[in-house]
Amino acid sequence: MPSADDIALVGWSISPMVRNTDKTEAQLLLEVISGAVDDAGITRREVDFTCAGSCDYVAGQAFSFVQNIDAVGAWPPKRDSHVEMDGAWALYEAWLRLQLGDIDVAVAMGSGRSSTADPALIYPMEMDPYYLAPLGTDAASFAALQARALIDAGKVTERQMAEVAARCRRDAQGNPHAQITGDFDVDALLSEDYVRSPLRKHDLPPITDGAVAVVIARADKAREMCEHPVFITGFAHNSELHYPGMRDLTVSPSTTLAAKAAGLEEAPVEVAELQSAFSHEEPLLVEALGLGADVSVNPSGGPLSANPIMATGLVRIAEAAAAIRDGGKQRALAHSTSGPCLQQNLVCILEGQSSEGPATKGTAK
Amino acid sequence: MSHQPCAIVGVGQTHHKKARRDVSYAGLAREAALRALDDAHMTWSDIDAVVVGKAPDLFEGVMKPELYLTDALGATGKPMFRVHTAGSVGGTTGIVASHHVETGRHQRVLAVALEKQSEGNAQFALGSGRGASIGAGGAFAPYMRLYMHRTGAPDDIGPMVAVKDRLNALKNPYAHLKLADISLEKVKASPMMWDPVRFLESCPSSDGACAVVFTDEAGGNAAAADGRPPAWILGSAVRSEPSSFPGRDPVRPQGAVDCAADVYAQAGITNPLEQIDCAELYVPFSWYEPMWLEAHDIAGPTEGWKMVERGDTALDGSFPVNMSGGVLSSNPIGASGLLRFSEAALQVRGMAGEHQVDGAKVALGQAYGASAQYFSMWVVASSLDPFGA
Amino acid sequence: MTDVVQTTIQFPYKRSLGPVVGAFMTALTDRRIIGIRSGDRVIAPPLEWDPETAEELAHDFVDVGPAGTVESWSWVASPTSQHPLDVPFAFALVKLDGADTAFLHAVDAGSIDAMSTGMRVAPRWRATRIGHVTDIEAFVPGEAPVVPDDDGGAVDEPVTMMDYNASITYTLPITPNAKRAEQANKEGRFIGLECPVCGRTYTGGRGYCPVDSVALGPEHEVELPQQGTVTNYTIITPVQYPGQTETEPFARVHVWLDGTDVVLGYQPLLDTPNADVRIGMRVSAVWASDAELQDLASNAEGRLLGWMPTGEPDDTDPDLVNRIQ
Repeated sequence: MPSADDIALVGWSISPMVRNTDKTEAQLLLEVISGAVDDAGITRREVDFTCAGSCDYVAGQAFSFVQNIDAVGAWPPKRDSHVEMDGAWALYEAWLRLQLGDIDVAVAMGSGRSSTADPALIYPMEMDPYYLAPLGTDAASFAALQARALIDAGKVTERQMAEVAARCRRDAQGNPHAQITGDFDVDALLSEDYVRSPLRKHDLPPITDGAVAVVIARADKAREMCEHPVFITGFAHNSELHYPGMRDLTVSPSTTLAAKAAGLEEAPVEVAELQSAFSHEEPLLVEALGLGADVSVNPSGGPLSANPIMATGLVRIAEAAAAIRDGGKQRALAHSTSGPCLQQNLVCILEGQSSEGPATKGTAK
Repeated sequence: MSHQPCAIVGVGQTHHKKARRDVSYAGLAREAALRALDDAHMTWSDIDAVVVGKAPDLFEGVMKPELYLTDALGATGKPMFRVHTAGSVGGTTGIVASHHVETGRHQRVLAVALEKQSEGNAQFALGSGRGASIGAGGAFAPYMRLYMHRTGAPDDIGPMVAVKDRLNALKNPYAHLKLADISLEKVKASPMMWDPVRFLESCPSSDGACAVVFTDEAGGNAAAADGRPPAWILGSAVRSEPSSFPGRDPVRPQGAVDCAADVYAQAGITNPLEQIDCAELYVPFSWYEPMWLEAHDIAGPTEGWKMVERGDTALDGSFPVNMSGGVLSSNPIGASGLLRFSEAALQVRGMAGEHQVDGAKVALGQAYGASAQYFSMWVVASSLDPFGA
Repeated sequence: MTDVVQTTIQFPYKRSLGPVVGAFMTALTDRRIIGIRSGDRVIAPPLEWDPETAEELAHDFVDVGPAGTVESWSWVASPTSQHPLDVPFAFALVKLDGADTAFLHAVDAGSIDAMSTGMRVAPRWRATRIGHVTDIEAFVPGEAPVVPDDDGGAVDEPVTMMDYNASITYTLPITPNAKRAEQANKEGRFIGLECPVCGRTYTGGRGYCPVDSVALGPEHEVELPQQGTVTNYTIITPVQYPGQTETEPFARVHVWLDGTDVVLGYQPLLDTPNADVRIGMRVSAVWASDAELQDLASNAEGRLLGWMPTGEPDDTDPDLVNRIQ
């Protein structure tokens, strides 16, 4: 059984997060890949494998990722792959690929221009094609059903949700990659109309265009490349059945299973970057992950401050890595999700390097 | 941390048809998956993780269908992963699934690739809904014209490939096209669809799915001990390159050359023509057979079409290609790559039925995508050491 | 303000339902809602498999509802074009009587104040039912199903197919490079962007060199000739599909611009019978007028309408065909 501590993040770059970009996805990726390889102190030529996460229905074009290959420097041709998932899963594939041991350096990326069309019209397309999509079941409506279930179960209140939103946007003020920032009064937020009751505008993420790229390397190479590699000591994802009416929406068992497989319980984390795009998802995920009150949750502001769909999860991983390398933390967690009512969840455990290497040796199985 | 052996112990596919109106989208995927599980003597609960591959979601109008397919494919409480690398996706799906085992992360992994093209229209989807879509045939036609010009291949080579693959398909119970009366004359008399490519030199549009069960060395050995021969993966590789830039050669793409060199090196192959017993190549249009024989260095430059002309690539030839009937006989796009890869596995397992190549020990599977710029390949064998190193 | 172009992806998908969804849809036309047994549980709407274990389920259908209890709900104040009602309504998870899972549908309650978790609802049936999830127009508060006076009754044949029409309009930014390229076209000029590293030239405002991964901008602009030679071609027989604009075979040619490394692929060739299309033809660019631009938007980049033969003698270089990228 291989240990999971042999791959580390050695560089990353997050694009500006904006409501409407004037760039193509390929141009957004060109910039963040350049930023990430610069951060890692290498060139594209030294990257052995690339993997991208993006979505045709977000881009509004079939095979949209084919243009994005232009950004990675695939000449001479590169080992490369693409997932129709968030960039966090692209990193998962890259992380697996490096474990085969024959190559050392990979870049994972995620990109999305959520501004291209109304999310309420796009997202029904990912629901059950017979029972759900024909009803125009949008992601926010599903989120609202889950929020109501949590409220009815006494797990969260609308005030707590508003407090989450206000805290995220306040914390985001220190984040150059945030889109929505500021000091919001919780009472004022609660006086606003519902968008999808019990969700108000502040409970929903902004519409964001953006991209992110991350450079990972095998341990020896990582130590050669930089002083402070951030090691992936656990990485796992898990899924629930699709139809939300057949699930208990007050829990997130696939998050718990992914966290267990990633070895979260082996040591405390100081920071958790969660892809809680809707405010009520934060307390639900915190519970599913068993995080204590001392854990700093979404200090970047999280998806409520910037939500570049298909990149949001990988941004969490980059932000968690930054909390370690640049923020002096030792162990952090990043989370990504996909599907209605948190159907699919991914957990990545990151650790800084101590004198004998990472603090713990988590394994994903 | 190292690369551990990986065995294929189950292969399943659907009956491919123009329209599988008898099944739902999930039902199509499950038909292939259940056959693969049966072949592997496993049930859903034996599987640790699932990898799904599919071409553009616009084909069926279901975005990220792995979400809807999660419980249909037994992934409730398990990892579900989705790959999309254009036409090569079926191959890449198999490779990504094998990495789940080769890294030691998981013991038993199910890969499922599918397309239900009858729900939509490929020409529409390829044009992203816009008019005057040139389709894949129009996109590749100039490449084939260039190949013909560059190599001086006689005009009959493409039709010969078209006939050979359709004759092979008659031996494959799962194949879509069953053209019992196919002939060189018929192919040449068929309408010119994307000049220089005729209708009968082109792939059909199919509904279909393919599934493969991967397991670790112990699982492969256990299957072998039980009298169920596994296929062992000797090597796998992917390459991508940009779709266009001045100086790119789309007829002998560098990615195709590099991908083959990589997979041969991993498999210990120095003379592919001699050491590989048969190959399943992604040939959606007839002229791609000689093109890939050359680009993957199985044949020398301008020699690919001569292999076709001599009958080397026929089922009873010295280097059989597309024993299953290939993409020219069945093309559920997202599944087509995994069908190539799984046919290679069936051959070395000796389980290819009427289209079995006698004594096949080492087989190549290949898929490509987009503007002939995404490549995935694997070499499978009946043992981990087929060359007696 | 970013300039944008709008494009709509719309297609009438035809879904085959399979034995279980088909049975559910057929039952709807008979004003019945069915679930499927899995062990001691009843799953509604029915699936072909148990969603926990994926085990294939026998087709042991059971009528559920028609009334049920709201387990969770969300009020939709402003319905979208895809929603089943065009007045404010609730999406609700309804546990139908006799089922162990909840069915998602719309509740037409009139007002958010009429909604609560635990409330009882029953279906309001559409008069003409075709075997579609919206044969139930919506659920309404109460125990009694609502049946229209002009009820059309069940269909005669089992329902096996379903239409799905989704239309999404995308608003895509026109990049500054593309905008400048188009502006140049408008002035009858053709500009490219030359990579400062490798010297390759790109058209259409691509914005970067894919070989060297460097961004290209105004400082890399070069004037390109508007004449070239056809190096390769195909004649395409149009396959008919919804949205197809072509009915007759049409040519697409590769054009190598004079004195450059630029080859434009799959270009329309204007005013030329398909039989006359050949390698070596000399052609020159034709730009769209403002009036033509609107029609053009869905077919090509910028204002390049296509290419017109110049009438010059053909270029007879036998290796022309190699220049396709």
